[in-house]
Amino acid sequence: MQTFSNEIIDTKILPQFENVVFSKLHPDYWKVILINWLFLFLIGGAGLFFASFHIKEIAENKTIFVIGFLVFCILVFVFLRIGFLKKGFAFREHDVLFTHGIIATSTIVIPYNRVQHVALHEGMVSRFFGLAKVEIFTAGGNNSDIEIPGIAKAEAENIKQLLMGKIQIQLQ
Amino acid sequence: MITDFNQPQRQNKVGILVLFLDTIRHFSRALFPIILISLIRIKSLNLLLIILTLLLILIVFGVIAYLKYYYFTFFLDHKNQEFIINEGIFNKTKTAIQLHKIQHVNIKQSFVQKLIGVFSLEVDTAGTNNQEIAIKAISHKIALDLKSKLLENEVVKQSLSEDENVDTTEIKTEPAFVKISFSSLLKIGITSNYIKSFFILLAFFLSAFENIKQIFGEKSIDKSKIDGFLEKNLMSDAIPILFILFLSVIIIVNLVRVVFRYFDFKIINQNGTLLLSFGLLNTKSTIIKPNKVQIVSFSSNYFQKKMNVLEMKIKQATNGEKEEEKAAIEIPGCNNMEKEAILKIIFGKNPAKGIELKPNFRKLGFAVFLTIILPLSFYLLVKNNNKENEIFNYLVLIYVIFVGLVQYFKFRNNKLFLHKDYIIKQSGAWDIKNEIIETSKIQGILTSQLFWHKNLNIGSITLHTAGGKIDFQLGNFEKIKAFKNLWLYEIESKNGNWM
Repeated sequence: MQTFSNEIIDTKILPQFENVVFSKLHPDYWKVILINWLFLFLIGGAGLFFASFHIKEIAENKTIFVIGFLVFCILVFVFLRIGFLKKGFAFREHDVLFTHGIIATSTIVIPYNRVQHVALHEGMVSRFFGLAKVEIFTAGGNNSDIEIPGIAKAEAENIKQLLMGKIQIQLQ
Repeated sequence: MITDFNQPQRQNKVGILVLFLDTIRHFSRALFPIILISLIRIKSLNLLLIILTLLLILIVFGVIAYLKYYYFTFFLDHKNQEFIINEGIFNKTKTAIQLHKIQHVNIKQSFVQKLIGVFSLEVDTAGTNNQEIAIKAISHKIALDLKSKLLENEVVKQSLSEDENVDTTEIKTEPAFVKISFSSLLKIGITSNYIKSFFILLAFFLSAFENIKQIFGEKSIDKSKIDGFLEKNLMSDAIPILFILFLSVIIIVNLVRVVFRYFDFKIINQNGTLLLSFGLLNTKSTIIKPNKVQIVSFSSNYFQKKMNVLEMKIKQATNGEKEEEKAAIEIPGCNNMEKEAILKIIFGKNPAKGIELKPNFRKLGFAVFLTIILPLSFYLLVKNNNKENEIFNYLVLIYVIFVGLVQYFKFRNNKLFLHKDYIIKQSGAWDIKNEIIETSKIQGILTSQLFWHKNLNIGSITLHTAGGKIDFQLGNFEKIKAFKNLWLYEIESKNGNWM
């Protein structure tokens, strides 16, 4: 008969996920967000500009519309900034953690032995800054997947290898 | 010669055509309105201009298709035992799948592909959409070679499972250990689901009765008076009668459905695998493999509890196929003993109920706010002070009482039982449901907390499995976090098989 032990586990001495220090996203990723959104706002602004020629209401209240649009842009950027600062990730020995959220702080943990596959995604602007997004898939459906954006390409590649390596260990 | 997939390789060259048509189909959905509008707006049809634009669009699509083809490569990384796909023109994605995670490889051919003579190959891993990993255009030979390469180490697994099958067939069929009797089916047919609508109706009737009382005073209700009332308000009374008719029809239909569908429900235990067979006209049979089971839930309401019947639902891991609804197997009308026997086979023992966790009262407050206060304030805002509105006022009162009761019981019954090995969630207002998952089936754990709940120490948790999720809001966050750590430890220290 094999030796079998079944001792009581003290939950207080277990590694605590809430004390993990999260790595912040790469500072350049903020520029990526800015460029992507500025591009969107430029399109929106151009739309507003052309609309002012055709729609009387906008032409008459130009200042209100311009100020409203600017305030909206600034608000969006403020929330984007907070959202950017709130995002963080951590790789422990046995699992990967990702935290995010402005109003509600959410932390999702995926053990390495539940990872199905990994993908590296590089957006056009991200690639210019040498950044990539790591997508980690599990069998638990869309909501249980982790996407970590704004990681330096080399580091992302390492993370992928780490995850794959971890899964490899399970095999042996 | 079997092609080696060591080097990144592209799809079949003629595949560009498939990609081209794909691109057109992809964009036409988005561009269709624009084309339509421009066709309507431009009245002076300049044929040359239209042809030129179309040509330009086609060329652009052709270039996109070519670039897609050019940047799409796949190869087998033998060192890491991975299958890797690179794709994307501007946005690049590199997907890596470990070979041993691959469940199926499907080779398909659409009409267009048939014309060109290429095949598409889809790789399935557990719980992911097929769309994620697909090669659109390769020759049949390469598709077959790649499939065999991808499933190389699957052979060992398959031969193993075949052995298992041989084993099971040799064993004589054991007698059914659970048999759902006809009376249990009747009980379930009458009591399930439609109790809810029955109670809505009952409340409606009682209030209508009260209404009559109030209109005619508190004196004894004269039959003739009621008749007179009926004549006057034929319409308003016809509705409840119709409702009753409707309800009885629903119950009868439900009864017949349950009997037809689940007649002669038998469960046979074969080497730990449960074989289910049921049905009056066409007998269906399904298999439950305990290690594939993700969530087990059973529910019963007040009457069902009194009659000792309950409904069970078992969700197994979806095997790459999109049959999530079919994956839930129902066992209607088993009694408590049978339930425990089934649980014992699935989990190996009776799942222990751990520490009880109740939601904070704020959860009730929020539910009341959403379902009562918001609609009520909307009603008060909209209503005009006509006397005709009185009947509506009563309806609103009934609504408030009914929904309030439902929310209260929902809140009272909502509990989460935290245990090292099992998580049990209880929920429901009338039908009280218990969902059980095993710690080893968890795929990921999400905890979340609103920033103003930090000092209150309340928060939410979602447990993801391959058969769905379990979530619980506004519980003691300290306890939730402690158990999250414990569960993670359990998952990570053991190499538990979740499927």
